[in-house]
Amino acid sequence: MKNEVKKYLPLQCPACSSSLRVGKMFCKECGTEVCGDFELPVLGRLTEKEAQFALDFVKASGSLKDMAKSMGLSYPTVRNILDNLIAKLNG
Amino acid sequence: MKNRFWTLAVNPFERIAGMKALLWGVAAMAVSTVISCLSGWHYHGMLHFGPAPNNEWWVYAVEHLIVWLVPAVVFYIGGRTMSSSRIRVSDVFGTMAFAQIPLILMGMVSLLPPMQALNGITEANAMQAVTQPWFVAAMFLSLLVIVAVVMNVVWMYNALKVSCNLSGYRLRVFFIVAYIGCDVACRYMIGALY
Repeated sequence: MKNEVKKYLPLQCPACSSSLRVGKMFCKECGTEVCGDFELPVLGRLTEKEAQFALDFVKASGSLKDMAKSMGLSYPTVRNILDNLIAKLNG
Repeated sequence: MKNRFWTLAVNPFERIAGMKALLWGVAAMAVSTVISCLSGWHYHGMLHFGPAPNNEWWVYAVEHLIVWLVPAVVFYIGGRTMSSSRIRVSDVFGTMAFAQIPLILMGMVSLLPPMQALNGITEANAMQAVTQPWFVAAMFLSLLVIVAVVMNVVWMYNALKVSCNLSGYRLRVFFIVAYIGCDVACRYMIGALY
């Protein structure tokens, strides 16, 4: 059985550290390719950890108290993660 | 695992804040007040400790309250002014109360005979005291006091960082200015008790 390597979507240019954009997409079934200049979706711009936090936050119905309990962190720590995430999305 | 322990030892507020931290902190301050009553070790400010002329029990209690409440109020006002996060009173006051816990170690050290003997030093017997064997022990114990005070300062810094969501130069500059200002204010307020 072939070992599957987990790959992460790169968000920054490895050469100059600028944010990357989408230039090419393709259909895995028929091989059709679409080229152009597209922005990454908002959630796609987050790191895996940040995206997981956003997903967990939605799953917890937006309850920071529940999030804090499930993550084993204090309420202000979780609120700070969320506030920093909001600042990143706004910025 | 070891790393996790040190992270929590330096910043326990990642895990504890709010009412839970407040209850632990208030309990610790009650214990610390009793120890201070027994040892005669007063808080003169946030960084100054030693004997004082008024040894009534309520003086020790008020000293502990001043050293907790003055910086907590200043940090809360600073946090409300500078942070974009919604700050909870219980987090600021709770984490600041919890940050007083290391000072119990200082109180316990001050109960030991060499530290008690150190309290009895006056100008008249200072030269004689330096030659006594307990003086060296008192100097080593003083290092433990320094460790407790440093831990208290580090916890207060992290209490401000977590409860008010401040970071970078704003956090560092505000903490230094507020800490020095609060120490001066505490010294004046506590000085009025004697």
